[in-house]
Amino acid sequence: MNQAYWARNPDGPFATLIAIAANYCHPEVYNDAYPELIERARSAAPEDEQIRVFREELREALADPSRLPDDELSRAVQYDDGSSQAFLRRLWRDLYGDEP
Amino acid sequence: MAEIRNGPEEPDRENRPEATPSDDIGAARELVELRSRAEYSADLERHVALVSFEPRRAGLPDVSIKDATEYLDKYHLERPWLSVARGCPPEVQRLFAALDQGHGHAHIRHEGWVTEEMNEHRVRNLEDPAQLDPARRRASIDGLTAGNVPHRCGDVASQITDPKIFAAAFARGVEHPDVRAALDSKGPRPEPVILPISNVLGDDGHKFCAGWQLEAVNGSMDEARAARRAWAAGNQSGPEPLARPVETFEGGTVTFAFRRSAAGGYEVSTMYVNPADEQST
Repeated sequence: MNQAYWARNPDGPFATLIAIAANYCHPEVYNDAYPELIERARSAAPEDEQIRVFREELREALADPSRLPDDELSRAVQYDDGSSQAFLRRLWRDLYGDEP
Repeated sequence: MAEIRNGPEEPDRENRPEATPSDDIGAARELVELRSRAEYSADLERHVALVSFEPRRAGLPDVSIKDATEYLDKYHLERPWLSVARGCPPEVQRLFAALDQGHGHAHIRHEGWVTEEMNEHRVRNLEDPAQLDPARRRASIDGLTAGNVPHRCGDVASQITDPKIFAAAFARGVEHPDVRAALDSKGPRPEPVILPISNVLGDDGHKFCAGWQLEAVNGSMDEARAARRAWAAGNQSGPEPLARPVETFEGGTVTFAFRRSAAGGYEVSTMYVNPADEQST
């Protein structure tokens, strides 16, 4: 059985945000995957429901990072921005520019 | 049943001489088979996975045994991660040759050619084992991405230490239903699949795993990773990154990540092992 947070908790808080971030931003895949995420997010098709949910959860997490489940984002993504807030801010800026 | 058990053909168990290790039969068996039944069974499962491996099902080019041997002979000097497979059984060589013609890096960064020291330097200083230029490796430049792109590493740099076990793990892993669903998917890049090591490498699989892990700073891995990135970039004002060997991989996991394959569909971008406390990554 898949042990990943998003597989164990498909309806858990921020499951889509954590799944997408781990999928495209983890250091083991970052250099080829991150540009793909930027492309996917910026040209998201209306039927790309996962990206729609991701963007919504990213916005919510930025508004109140304390709602993120304990350490799950850090352990899943292993970013080197220093904090989940710094990582999420960079992610929003890279994907959506200055949009709110 | 009692009649059969007590019949004239039934061996006389009660008066049977007790077997001792010095018996001829016991000694002969010892010479022939040193593995326990569980080890034999695990080896057999790995062997079956390897001989059944079809590169195309993993999004890799088809490679014959003969072509694989030639490929390894031709490229092992410029691609040193291939050297470990040259002395291995033909089906292991075939898997390495197929992997090396795909776009994944599992056999380059997470297999036995990587030394303990290389793993330590990777997780502590972001030095990429795939970077073959020593100066660029020390400068933390990625060895598999064009240009001067910084190398990245998670909290652990790990490997499967035996090429035969690595190859069998890959062959078994790509047939796991969750991994198959990812490889066969048609949509955007499928999410990583994280499986127990025992599912993929067998019950004794953790014995073939090794690695180094980054030490936390002030109890925080976020701080430790940020300090490591700063040091790699030349800013040494923060705490120096520290690393320690992973004590055990027992109870750990294997992560399979995916990327688009040149053959169409998806292939395994990387496969790496995590100790138990990394289970949710």
